[in-house]
Amino acid sequence: MDIVCIVCPKSCRITAAPGNPPVITGNSCKRGYQFALDELTAPKRTVCTTVRTVFPDAPVLPVKTSAEIPKDRIFDLMREINAFTLETRVGTGEAVIPDALGLGADVIATSDLLKETIPEGENDR
Amino acid sequence: MNIKKINKKLQKAFGGKFTAVYENGAVSVRGESGDWGEIVSACMAAATKNSTTHVVNDAVFTGAVPEEMRLPAITDSALDGKSPDVLIIGGGISGASIARELTKWKLDVLLIEKEADLALGASGRNDGEVHPGVDLGKGSLKHKYVRRGNRMYGDVCRELNVGFRRVGQYVGFLNGALRPLIGAYCLLRKYRDGIEDTEIISGKELHRREPNLNHAFKFAISNPSTGCVCPYGLTIAYAENAVQNGARVSLSTAALGMDVQNGEILSVCTNRGTVYPRLVINAAGVFAEEIAKMADDRFYSIHPRRGTNSILDKKAGVYMHSVSSVKELPAHDKSHSKGGGILHTVHDNLLVGPDAVETYEKENYATNADSIKTVFDKQTVSMPGLSKSDIITYFTGVRAPTFEEDFIIEKGRRTKNLIHCAGIQSPGLTTAPAVALDIEKMAVEMLSENSPVEKNEAFDPIRKGVPVLRDMPDDERAEMIRQNPDYGVIVCRCEEVSKGEILDALRSPICVPTVDGVKKRVRPGMGRCQGGFCSPLVVKIIAEFLGVPPEDVRKSADSAVITYGKTKGGADDETV
Amino acid sequence: MKPYDVIVIGGGPAGLAAAVSANDSGAAVCLIERENRLGGILKQCIHDGFGLLRFGARLTGPEYAQRYINEVRARDIDVFTETFVTKTESDGGGFVIHAVNRSGVTVLSANALVLATGCRERTAKQVFIHGTRPAGVFTAGTAQHFTNLMGLQPANNCVILGSGDIGLIMARRLTLEGAKVLGVYEAKPTPSGLTRNLHQCLYDYGIPLYLSKTVTRVFGEDRVTGVEISAVDDAMRPVPGTEEYVACDTLILSVGLIPENEIAEALGVKLDDRTKGPVCDGQFMTNVDGVFSCGNALHVNDLVDYVSENAAIAGKNAANYKKAPRKLLELQADASLLYLVPQTLDLNRDNSKTTLFFRSKEPLDGASLKIYADGNEVLGKRYAFLRPPEMETLTLDFERFGLTENSRVTFKIVPKAQEG
Repeated sequence: MDIVCIVCPKSCRITAAPGNPPVITGNSCKRGYQFALDELTAPKRTVCTTVRTVFPDAPVLPVKTSAEIPKDRIFDLMREINAFTLETRVGTGEAVIPDALGLGADVIATSDLLKETIPEGENDR
Repeated sequence: MNIKKINKKLQKAFGGKFTAVYENGAVSVRGESGDWGEIVSACMAAATKNSTTHVVNDAVFTGAVPEEMRLPAITDSALDGKSPDVLIIGGGISGASIARELTKWKLDVLLIEKEADLALGASGRNDGEVHPGVDLGKGSLKHKYVRRGNRMYGDVCRELNVGFRRVGQYVGFLNGALRPLIGAYCLLRKYRDGIEDTEIISGKELHRREPNLNHAFKFAISNPSTGCVCPYGLTIAYAENAVQNGARVSLSTAALGMDVQNGEILSVCTNRGTVYPRLVINAAGVFAEEIAKMADDRFYSIHPRRGTNSILDKKAGVYMHSVSSVKELPAHDKSHSKGGGILHTVHDNLLVGPDAVETYEKENYATNADSIKTVFDKQTVSMPGLSKSDIITYFTGVRAPTFEEDFIIEKGRRTKNLIHCAGIQSPGLTTAPAVALDIEKMAVEMLSENSPVEKNEAFDPIRKGVPVLRDMPDDERAEMIRQNPDYGVIVCRCEEVSKGEILDALRSPICVPTVDGVKKRVRPGMGRCQGGFCSPLVVKIIAEFLGVPPEDVRKSADSAVITYGKTKGGADDETV
Repeated sequence: MKPYDVIVIGGGPAGLAAAVSANDSGAAVCLIERENRLGGILKQCIHDGFGLLRFGARLTGPEYAQRYINEVRARDIDVFTETFVTKTESDGGGFVIHAVNRSGVTVLSANALVLATGCRERTAKQVFIHGTRPAGVFTAGTAQHFTNLMGLQPANNCVILGSGDIGLIMARRLTLEGAKVLGVYEAKPTPSGLTRNLHQCLYDYGIPLYLSKTVTRVFGEDRVTGVEISAVDDAMRPVPGTEEYVACDTLILSVGLIPENEIAEALGVKLDDRTKGPVCDGQFMTNVDGVFSCGNALHVNDLVDYVSENAAIAGKNAANYKKAPRKLLELQADASLLYLVPQTLDLNRDNSKTTLFFRSKEPLDGASLKIYADGNEVLGKRYAFLRPPEMETLTLDFERFGLTENSRVTFKIVPKAQEG
């Protein structure tokens, strides 16, 4: 199978054939090897999106999965995220939805937006 | 006007396809064609210059089914039972200026406009040139009003706080041999037609004044009284001043029908209720003929003619500071609409255009690549450095000429409580201030027949517009910001528009809380990024001002949805 | 009026990096940002893939920006947010900046300026799309602002014109938010965005990419109801007779970025026709002494990592700037290069570690970048592939070429096939 590596902007064109061990050529780093291996068996992606918040100054907060999740669960995760509303002013790296869908990855905040713009009179947390 | 002669002419040109009949005091052209251009030609052939007997187009166009007039979506009874002294139909430059002049009198003035804002027809879609009138034939109403209107501009724009500059116009000639002929023409215009300041200047002088115009120009006509104005800005200003002085403006309001009995309009049915005016003024632009028909007073026809203008980046604004065009003789260009040149706008962009194309569609404002090409091909003769890559936007307008190519400014012929202000095309922007005064007089005379009309002593001609901070010196600007810190928050980077100015526009006498409404009033989104950066911010400011969610803010009309609600699958499953 | 050594205009990734590096070089630095938060466009670029070169980590835009914002905050740098520069003037060797914000009009002065003003998106009219003017035509960045910062859905059924990275990213983003992306249309015969973005943004979601096709017309009175697609010829002109109608409610444009250099131009900075950014020397100083340029205002980068890199160089050089005579030598890039930055070298300065950025005009598999000094090949660097969307960078020691003011330095890309 021909794969374009998405790990870095180099976009290496990798050829991967199943087997024991699989035959992987064209990668220029270890991460590329791992990516191709995953693509062969169980493709995974990091999901970057936003979550709804209760704060009018920032109606949505950017988030991502702390680790890659199976590609075929992306829309399941989006449904989970869409049903969620953030009520605390979390900062970058803090978990918003821990272990989402039980996949072993947290949905974490990727912005300090909510920490920066606390309106007067509102207590933090 | 001789109907036999006309029929002979039609027979010769169209072989019996069209005939003319004298009916109801007008020349009715009949026949059938699938070619709109042919119908227009036939009606033009039947028209007599400067005649008060007009051509009415009764020919059947089989080429396409024209779209129905766009109507507002709203239906309510906001105006039901109102009985204004004067009902003005149409919120363009004509309607708005007439409304303002009428508020000098103690009259109940109601202006209705079918669109969601003013100046959405030809008044908002033209080049903003204030014409000198040098090329208008004597005997026409255009000629009668153009000099008066031109002279009024300085005062009117000062009163209404609208930007206006007399930038001057140059009509360049490549053929030096024409100079004696054109010189004689200018003298004739000057002394016979009263265009006092027109003169011939040498090619050398032209290049001194405008170094980027074609160096091959041998000489030019110079018309220093030519000016530029923001046409929709002036329309809005007129209407705002009218409202300040007691007039009512009802947007998204269309005249749908009239009850006319014994030559009198008893009521006008609108989508917002039935109105019972004493006097109706038809200033409906391309739809003036439809209104005339409703009023049982149709004695002219409008044949729409579209034109496209391009706006160039302010960076190109420095290439030229006036209005310029090129003239070639003999003229290939037989068009009746003026314009067609390069114009330094009052906002310091360059504007290039327009062209002139006959169309059966009164509201098709779509642009076409051909129009831009035609205009640029022509205007690069004037200014060889003109580049399409400087274009930031382009737009199409539709003019509303009659087949006589002159204005119709008169009382109804069969219907007595009606005034027509129709057939208004270029130089209609220039003439509007003068025409409005005459219509004011006409209206007051007509209304005085029943009971005396009193002067409105409280009339204030001064409109305080939204301050333009980018034009202020630092100390003045700092003082404004001290009074209102929102003036210090720049929302539109291209045009340097502050949040304070946007909020001022929303608080103005005629609030149009849409992205386009704000854009027309204080210019966010008019610059080189065309709202790319500021439109989300403007949406947010409007939403906060109105106290509605941002997804409820529209671009223009009610169905001009910008966003389809919240992400995350909408607000339905919101848990808060 | 407090004099600074360096004023940085623009608080996006370039401005942040320039301010940090200028401060680290000992300068008193002021950073001016027109928005209310630092970070520039990265604030809305919530996808990951930033920072692999710079931090060896796959960061999202806000995370990448936050690292630099933290660096700025940790230093004694005066930061003005929601502050807009209205006027810049040269003033006897230094510069005076007039800016407005909620407190009024501020006048600041500095010995050197770093212009980190970023870029803007090309609009529908600038690519000559005709038809009506309804709501629902957005540049990708505007759609991204609505979606990622305001939590608003700009599209239900959309067509994307242009395969630039932001367009591809938005195709995925809108798909995740439940919109249907009907296709991405690209007038060029090759995609404009990074290859990995074609894969992870389009192919992962089954979004079709159509090459050599463009949008020629928009339909709809109030909101978009459809677009007309036309095939284009080799010169990218629409071919009459190939029009097809696609019903949609949204047209999103990702048709190129234009460096924003209005402030630069007002100062008399000369722009390069190819980059649309300033002509600069190896220190990223423009033709105007004391005015430096970096980031996407200098030329449109495809990776923020490069933006930070060249901004840091500009910031450092601005901090060390002293007016001195310059001996400028033009670096001539022939037509095989889309562009080359810097365009000149100041031979009075140290050019032993000069960073170059270039793009190939054509997509090539196997090619060499060759540099000639007075006709002699002084450098030949091989590349496995060169693609116009993928910028290349290298650092060179020009001192060893023994250049003089009269030297002729030319750059050329030679395809493998012609190398022999």
